Amino acid sequence: MIDAKYKMGGFIALAMLLAVSPLFLNAYWVDVLNSVGLYALLALSLNVILGDAGLYNMGHAAFFAVGAYTAAYLNTQFGVPILWALPISGISAGLFGVVLARPVIHLRGDYLLIVTVGVGEIIRIALINNVFGVTGGPNGIFGIARPELFGFRIRRPQEFFYLIWGFVAVTVFLFARLKNSRFGRALDCLREDPVAAEGSGINTGRYQLLAFMVGAAWAGMAGCLYASKMTIISPESFSFWESVLIFIIVILGGAGNIAGVILGTFLIIGLPELFRGFASARMWFFGLAMMIMMIFRTEGILPHRPRIFKNLDRLLP
Amino acid sequence: MEEFFQQLTNGLAVGCIYALIALGYTMVYGVLKLINFAHGDLFTLGAYLGLTLLTSLGLSGRLGPLLGLLLLAVLVMGFVALTGALLERAAYRPLRQSPRLSAVVSALGASIFLQNTIMLIYGARIHVYPQDILPKVALEIGGVSIPLVRILVFVVSLLLMGALFLFIQRTRLGTAIRAAAIDQAAARLMGINVDQVILIVFLIGPGLGGVAGLLVGLYYGQVNFTMGWVYGLKAFTAAILGGIGNIPGAMVGGLILGVIEALGAAYISVAWKDAIAFLVLIVILIVRPTGILGERVADKV
Amino acid sequence: MKKAFVLGLTLVLAMAGAGLCLAAEPIKIGLMAPVTGSWASEGEDMKNIVNLLAEEVNAQGGLLGQKVAVVLEDDAGDPRTASLAAQRLATQGVKAVIGTYGSSVTEASQSIYDESSILQVANGSTAIRLTEKGLKYFFRTCPRDDEQGRVAAQTIRQMGFKKVAILHDNTSYAKGLADEGNALLKKDGVKIVFFDALTPGERDFTAILTKMKAAKPDAVFFTGYFPELGLILRQKKEMNWPVPFIGGDATNNPDLVKIAGKVAAEGYYFLSPPVPQDLPFEKTKAFLKAYTAKHGAAPGSIWAVLAGDGFLTVVEAIKATQSTDPEKLAAFLHSGQQKISGLTGEISFNAKGDRVGEVYRVYRVDADGNFVLQDK
Repeated sequence: MIDAKYKMGGFIALAMLLAVSPLFLNAYWVDVLNSVGLYALLALSLNVILGDAGLYNMGHAAFFAVGAYTAAYLNTQFGVPILWALPISGISAGLFGVVLARPVIHLRGDYLLIVTVGVGEIIRIALINNVFGVTGGPNGIFGIARPELFGFRIRRPQEFFYLIWGFVAVTVFLFARLKNSRFGRALDCLREDPVAAEGSGINTGRYQLLAFMVGAAWAGMAGCLYASKMTIISPESFSFWESVLIFIIVILGGAGNIAGVILGTFLIIGLPELFRGFASARMWFFGLAMMIMMIFRTEGILPHRPRIFKNLDRLLP
Repeated sequence: MEEFFQQLTNGLAVGCIYALIALGYTMVYGVLKLINFAHGDLFTLGAYLGLTLLTSLGLSGRLGPLLGLLLLAVLVMGFVALTGALLERAAYRPLRQSPRLSAVVSALGASIFLQNTIMLIYGARIHVYPQDILPKVALEIGGVSIPLVRILVFVVSLLLMGALFLFIQRTRLGTAIRAAAIDQAAARLMGINVDQVILIVFLIGPGLGGVAGLLVGLYYGQVNFTMGWVYGLKAFTAAILGGIGNIPGAMVGGLILGVIEALGAAYISVAWKDAIAFLVLIVILIVRPTGILGERVADKV
Repeated sequence: MKKAFVLGLTLVLAMAGAGLCLAAEPIKIGLMAPVTGSWASEGEDMKNIVNLLAEEVNAQGGLLGQKVAVVLEDDAGDPRTASLAAQRLATQGVKAVIGTYGSSVTEASQSIYDESSILQVANGSTAIRLTEKGLKYFFRTCPRDDEQGRVAAQTIRQMGFKKVAILHDNTSYAKGLADEGNALLKKDGVKIVFFDALTPGERDFTAILTKMKAAKPDAVFFTGYFPELGLILRQKKEMNWPVPFIGGDATNNPDLVKIAGKVAAEGYYFLSPPVPQDLPFEKTKAFLKAYTAKHGAAPGSIWAVLAGDGFLTVVEAIKATQSTDPEKLAAFLHSGQQKISGLTGEISFNAKGDRVGEVYRVYRVDADGNFVLQDK
């Protein structure tokens, strides 16, 4: 128990260090942290689907795109303030996730994986071809307004830092609660053994769908933040590679472990920036580092550990 | 109607290449349950190696086009197969007992690593195969024109696939591979050296991928270091479509995917071609959740 | 233990990386180029050209008594990476930035440079809207898509084609040019019998060619890039379809003929600013000679040369104003009076930051695979 307290203290210290970092980092490194924050949101949302529910999803960029385009469209066409669009982005991406997942959720691991890859590609192609005339085709949507919070206009990387990481903090809090809820326990159970879960009265299909919806909705909201930060979005920001990157983060960080996923984001998004000095060899080192990390930490950097209940002996006869 | 048959042959030619690459995915998957994302880059390696050997050794000049190309294919196959085996040893074997997706991420890392190795060695520019190796003749059958190179691609892929099929079905080693694919532990108890089987699979799969790379180089004449991603994803789709882990399935899946793409482009829209292909894939998987020829196996995920 | 090893390795690699990019403290000029990713070959040429020009400037005593240093950042041809690259350049105290190639990539970096008051001179970003936003510090040495579309439509009309197929590749640039051409040709009464997009990075275009052939066009207007076009011309030849092709400036690359083969490439027309070898200026010829001596081959395309022009623009502006103050530099470049002698001729900018003057020429590929300048 003491161990857990130290761990908690360590996390809080790290979080505080992160919170004051914009005061001594330059704009570039703050912006790298912003990028890390956005990907952390995406990875945390994929973690619900991939890590907690154990559903292979390699098309997460599709939900990210739905959210980003919803926000961008509402903002540029109807002048909806971009942060007001946040819940709408979440709802539309979540709904999209459910509609999509409903017919395919029963597919076995790798078959589901290729279906989600396919959906990601279909969405990207639809965006590029200016589907329904609302996505702007290959140009995307530009001229998205910067967000405003209580009359304050968020523009500089330092200001975005607090918006993005504030949202990450809320997400971590909510998802940690979710993990320990009935929902989280049900997901744990059905990931480890679907048959036993079904037998224990868990409606597996419904819980899997719920997981998909939560993950998709959160990715949609991350999309809204992304659109507000970039002020321009175009299909190439939602390519297959983005989905792969988010997938890598979750597995490499430690599927199912929130701290691990955030650490994974720092490594996967941060490393290519650290390797910038290598110019064209930068991705070579990145690939190498990825293999090495996976070989030495085969279950991810911070693997998911089964929950241990304090009073378990009381439950046993 | 003429246009339809022309499009059909167009699709089959593309499909043959997909099928050859898909075989590598499906063999590795069958035995290890691993999606080897680096397979596409082994294919690229084959294309580049073929180019280097072709221009530096001048094989086709000295031995005549047919014999020269045959020797070239054997060399490329051998080298890419060795690279594949090395990759297995370095990046996948340490992960054999760990969660399945960890090996997938290691494979993705290997893919980035290989792709950038090729870029650093050969440079980022597009490379071009010499154009005078094969005569430029086209066969005309009832208004449908089929170039000679395309026939070569057909014949070579069908021969390789046929040979592989016979090898898997008729030889002792092939039986061992099938046994290991069904149940590794049981196969081991039956006295099968599973490590050796895995090694063989990692020689044959990448070897075939390498030859596919060479064929693409000869057929289209242009190679670049990112081509593995495009072909890799398509071939993986083909393998899934046919039922992953199933060797005839990979062949069928590849050919069908090629034909869907060509007909989708012809009769619906070129720009939406890939979306149409994926849509058909999803519909097929909804109807047959383990692909066209996939066996219904107990869910172990 | 293993974790410590991984972390240690990461740190060592990181420090080695940081060590490589340290340099002395001269006037810094940024270069944002795609040195990795799909357009790595363009980025490589951009880097080589700007570095060579910087060496020449330094050999002649530098600028304002100081040396010039080029700070390279990779944008990977991707908007997100570009915005990070821009932030990084902005914090390194560069006085101006050259680049980059793709329009959407440039667009992702524009506001960052503008907010940091850094002069940006793009070299390959031809999308119209980039200079329509009223940004004070943004310039480009390349022409705009609407100009190219106008010249393309005019050329197609002059050649007397009545039914035209248009093929693009759904990139921002190619789609823009295709739309522009489509609208202008329709207005002139030319019938557009086919309008569709291929998928970049693919190799087999026989399905598209078969479909296009069935639409029976007199000519095909292709607005995409050279790697795909090379394959298309080759596969068209194999199909024995003699239809003439006219293309945009993204096909202007000597590798086109290598991919297609001389036989298939012969008779292909394209529009472009003059190719590097056709630039009639002594200065340019000498520079290209030095470049070829150093790197073994001439630069692949005009876009990398235009990055060189961006560098010369900045250098001349600093010389003329005797200052590195972005306000003064921008005011000087906006004045329209500069007449900077660049590699592609005289460079002047209008109030929007677009380069003035007519630059497009029509080229035809001859039997030996040379790009031959056509009379207007």
